[in-house]
Amino acid sequence: MKASIPTGTSGLLSSVAESAFAAGVGFLASGILLAVLGKDPIKAFYYLFEGSFGSANNFTITLAYAAPLILTALTFAVGVRAGLFNIGAEGTLYVGATAAVAAGLIHLPFGIGLLFVLIAAGAAGAAWSIPAYLLKSYRGVNEVISTIMMNNIALFAMQFVVLNYLLDPARSDKSASIPVDSRFPTLLPPNLTVAIFFSALVCFGVYYYLWQTPGGYELRAVGLNPEAAKFSGISPRRPMLYAFLLGGITAGLAGAVEVAGTFTPFAIYTGLSNLVNFGFNGIGVALIGRNHPMAIVLAGIFLGALQAGASSVQIAGISFEIVEVIEGMIVFAIAAPQLYRMFRRRLK
Amino acid sequence: MQSRGEEVLKTAAITKIYPDGTQALRGVDFDLARGEVHGLLGENGAGKTTLSKILSGILRPTSGDVFVNGKKAEVRHPKEALKLGVGMVHQHFTLVRNFTAFENILLGTDVNPKGAGASKARQEILALSKDVGLGVELDAKVEDLALGAQQRVELLKMLYRKVQILILDEPTSSLTAPETVDLFKAVRRLKEEGKSAIFITHKLNEVLEICDRITVLRHGEVSGRIEAANADTKTLARMMVGRDVVFDLVKEPSHAGDPILEVSDLVVRGNRGEDAVKGVSFAVRRGEIFGIAGVEGNGQTELEEALSGVRRPSRGKIKLGGLEISSLSNNEIRKHSVGLIPEDRRQMGLILDMSVAENSILGREWERRFRGQGIALAWAKVKDHASRLIRSFEILVKGPDSPAKSMSGGNQQKVVVSRELTDDPDFVLAAQPTRGLDVAASDYIRRLLLKTRDSGKGVLVISADLDEVLQLSDVIGVMYEGKLLEVGPTEKMTRHKVGMLMGGVKE
Repeated sequence: MKASIPTGTSGLLSSVAESAFAAGVGFLASGILLAVLGKDPIKAFYYLFEGSFGSANNFTITLAYAAPLILTALTFAVGVRAGLFNIGAEGTLYVGATAAVAAGLIHLPFGIGLLFVLIAAGAAGAAWSIPAYLLKSYRGVNEVISTIMMNNIALFAMQFVVLNYLLDPARSDKSASIPVDSRFPTLLPPNLTVAIFFSALVCFGVYYYLWQTPGGYELRAVGLNPEAAKFSGISPRRPMLYAFLLGGITAGLAGAVEVAGTFTPFAIYTGLSNLVNFGFNGIGVALIGRNHPMAIVLAGIFLGALQAGASSVQIAGISFEIVEVIEGMIVFAIAAPQLYRMFRRRLK
Repeated sequence: MQSRGEEVLKTAAITKIYPDGTQALRGVDFDLARGEVHGLLGENGAGKTTLSKILSGILRPTSGDVFVNGKKAEVRHPKEALKLGVGMVHQHFTLVRNFTAFENILLGTDVNPKGAGASKARQEILALSKDVGLGVELDAKVEDLALGAQQRVELLKMLYRKVQILILDEPTSSLTAPETVDLFKAVRRLKEEGKSAIFITHKLNEVLEICDRITVLRHGEVSGRIEAANADTKTLARMMVGRDVVFDLVKEPSHAGDPILEVSDLVVRGNRGEDAVKGVSFAVRRGEIFGIAGVEGNGQTELEEALSGVRRPSRGKIKLGGLEISSLSNNEIRKHSVGLIPEDRRQMGLILDMSVAENSILGREWERRFRGQGIALAWAKVKDHASRLIRSFEILVKGPDSPAKSMSGGNQQKVVVSRELTDDPDFVLAAQPTRGLDVAASDYIRRLLLKTRDSGKGVLVISADLDEVLQLSDVIGVMYEGKLLEVGPTEKMTRHKVGMLMGGVKE
C-alpha cells in the first residue's frame, strides 16, 4: 500500500473541474453584462488578460496583488477548518501594516530590519485576534459579529495612529516609509519582491501545521465535529485559540507584505486607501481555493490577476465600477459551490 | 367487544425503507375509529414514530396506502395532513420559544395576532380551552411556560386548526403526574366530542388507562392488537418484547471482583433543565457486565454523558477505581484507563469526514507512539496502528485512508470500539453499542464486550435492546423515568420482568 499522508487534497481534482466550470459561468455572465452595456466583451477580456499576464512586468503586478491576498485568505481558511467564520482579516491587516510601519521607524541592518517588521506585524495581528477568541470562548459571542466590530475599530484606530504618531514629516497624506533595509528585497524592479514567495512559504507552514502536527489535527477535528472531538478528550478551547491566533498572524503579515513588499509607497496612506479590501477579498480567495492552503496560492494569483488586469480594462473604455462588478461576478461564481457546502454543513 | 364509530383513518400495508436501507415498517395495517383512542405501543425502533410521521405527512411511505374518512389520501406535507384533519403533537415541541402562546397558536394561520380577527380568534381559543379543560396563559411567552403548559399550547394549536384526528407522540414523557391526569381528562373530553386520537407510548399502564384499543409494533410489524378492556400489562409486555432470541452467546460464569465504578445518588439535568437522571445508585465490579435496560429517553443518555464527563451532574458521586470523577471533564477522565463508546457513534464517536487512520487516533494525537521527531505526527505510524486495528477487529474497509463516512454502520462502530478497547482500559462504558447494526456486527461487538469482561475489566452496557442486555449482563438494572427501578442478577431478572419494568410496571 502506498504510504500516502492525509493532505486534505482528496477530491481536489474534482474541485478544480468544478472551479473551471464555475469560472466559465462567471466569465459568460459578465460577458453578457458587458454586451448588454454595449461594450465588447472579447476586447474587455483581452485587456483583462493582457494586463495581468500579458508581459513579465504585468505578471509581476499580478503577483504583487496576490501576495497579501494569499495571506488574508489563510486567515479565513484556518478559521473555517476550525469551524469558525473569521472575517476579521480586514481590520487585522490594518493593525499589522501599522505595526510594520512603526517597527520600520527603527533603522536596523538589512535582513534584521525585515525580520523585526514581520515579527511586529505578526505579533500585532495575533494580539488583535484575541478579543474575538475570548468573547467566543467565554461569552459565546458569535465570531462574525465580533470580528466585524474589530474591523471597524481597527479602521478608525489605525487611521488615528497613522495621523498622530506615524505621519511622514515631509508629507501629510501618508505615514513614514519603511526604510529600504527593512523591506522585502526586490527581485525584478519595480514590482516583483520576495513577498510573494514569503506568502507561499507561510501557506506551506500553515498547511504543515494543519495536516502534519497534533495541534493542527485537533483544530481540524474540532472544526469537522466539535462534539466527537470533545467526547474523545480534545478540549475545544485550545484549537479555537490557535485558529484565531494563526488567523491573526497571517492577516498581520499580510499588512506587512502590503507595506514592506509592494511597490510604492512602502507606507500607509492616511485614509488606509492602499490597505482596504485586501482582507475581504481574501475571503473570496479562500473560497476559490476551497480553504486549502496550497490551493490558496493559486487562487490568490487568480484574483491578483483580475485586479491587475482591471486597470488595463479601463483602457477599453469600461469604467472601473463595471470592472469591479465583473470581478465580483467571476469570484462569486467560483466561490458559490464552496459557500453552499459550508453553509449547508453549518445549518445541518 | 364494544361498538366502534365509523372508520376515520386506515393504513393498508404501509412499508417504509429509509434511504440508508433501514426497513422501519413492514406492511403495517392500522385503523382508527371516530371517538376512539388507539394506543400504539412498542420499543425503540419498533416503528411507532415512523408510522406517525407518515400519517402526519412528514414522511412518505415506500409503499402502501393511507385512507382518511374512507378516501385514499396522498399526504405529502404536514399542511395537507392538517387539511384532512390530521394533526400531530410532537414529543419534542415545535413551538417558537420567544413567541407568546397566542402567537404560537396562530402561527401559520391567516390570522395576524395583532391585526383584525385577533380578538375573535382569542375568543375561539379561550372557548376551546375551556371546553377541553386545557388552561393556558395565552400572553405568556412559551419559554416561560412549564413543559405541561407548552404541551397544552401544542394541543390547542391543533384543535384551533379543527383537527379531528390527533396523533400524540409520547405525550406524557415530559409531564408530571398531575399534568398527565389533566391531559387524560382532556383526551377523554375530546373523545366525547367525536374526535379520535392515536396515543404513542411505551408506558404500559398509561396505554391501558386511556386507550380503547392497543396495537403493538415490533421490528416494524404489528405483533398484536387487542381491546384495552381485554388486555393487561403482562400480555402487552409479552407482545412488546417478544420471545425470539436471534442467536446465542457462549458466556463463561463471571468472576466479579471489587467495584471499579461506583455511582451514588446521581442527579443529572437534561437539555431542557429538567432532572433527567433522578438519584441513581449502582456499582459495576471488575470482571462483570452491568447492563442497564430501558426504553430510550428515560435518562440513559444523560447518565452516559455524566459518566463520560461531557455533562456535569447536579448532585451525587461517581467514583472510578476509588477516585471521585464527577467534577472531571472528559479529557481528565480519559487519563484513568477508560474506554467510552458513545451511543451516537456518528455524532460523538467519529469524525465522518476524516479517514479511518485519523479517527483511530482521535483524542490520542499527542501520544509519543504516533509522533516522529519534533512536533510532527508520524502518519506512517498512525497508519500502521490503524491497519493493526483493521486486522484485529475485522473492520471491513479498503484501507486506513478510506473516509469513515464511506463505511457501513457496523464497521464505523468497530472503528470506535477498536479505538476505545485497544489500550486495555480498566472500565468500559458502552452505550447502545449495537444500535442499528446488522446481526453479524452486533454479535461481534457483544463478543468483544464479553472478552473484555473475561479479562477482568468492568463493563457497563446501556442498551434499549432487551435481548442484548439479557444476553450480556451479569447484573441488570432497568431505567425508567430517570430512576433505576430494580437491580438484580440476570438469573432473577426474567425477560418478562424486565419488559414490565421497562414499561414502568413493578410487580
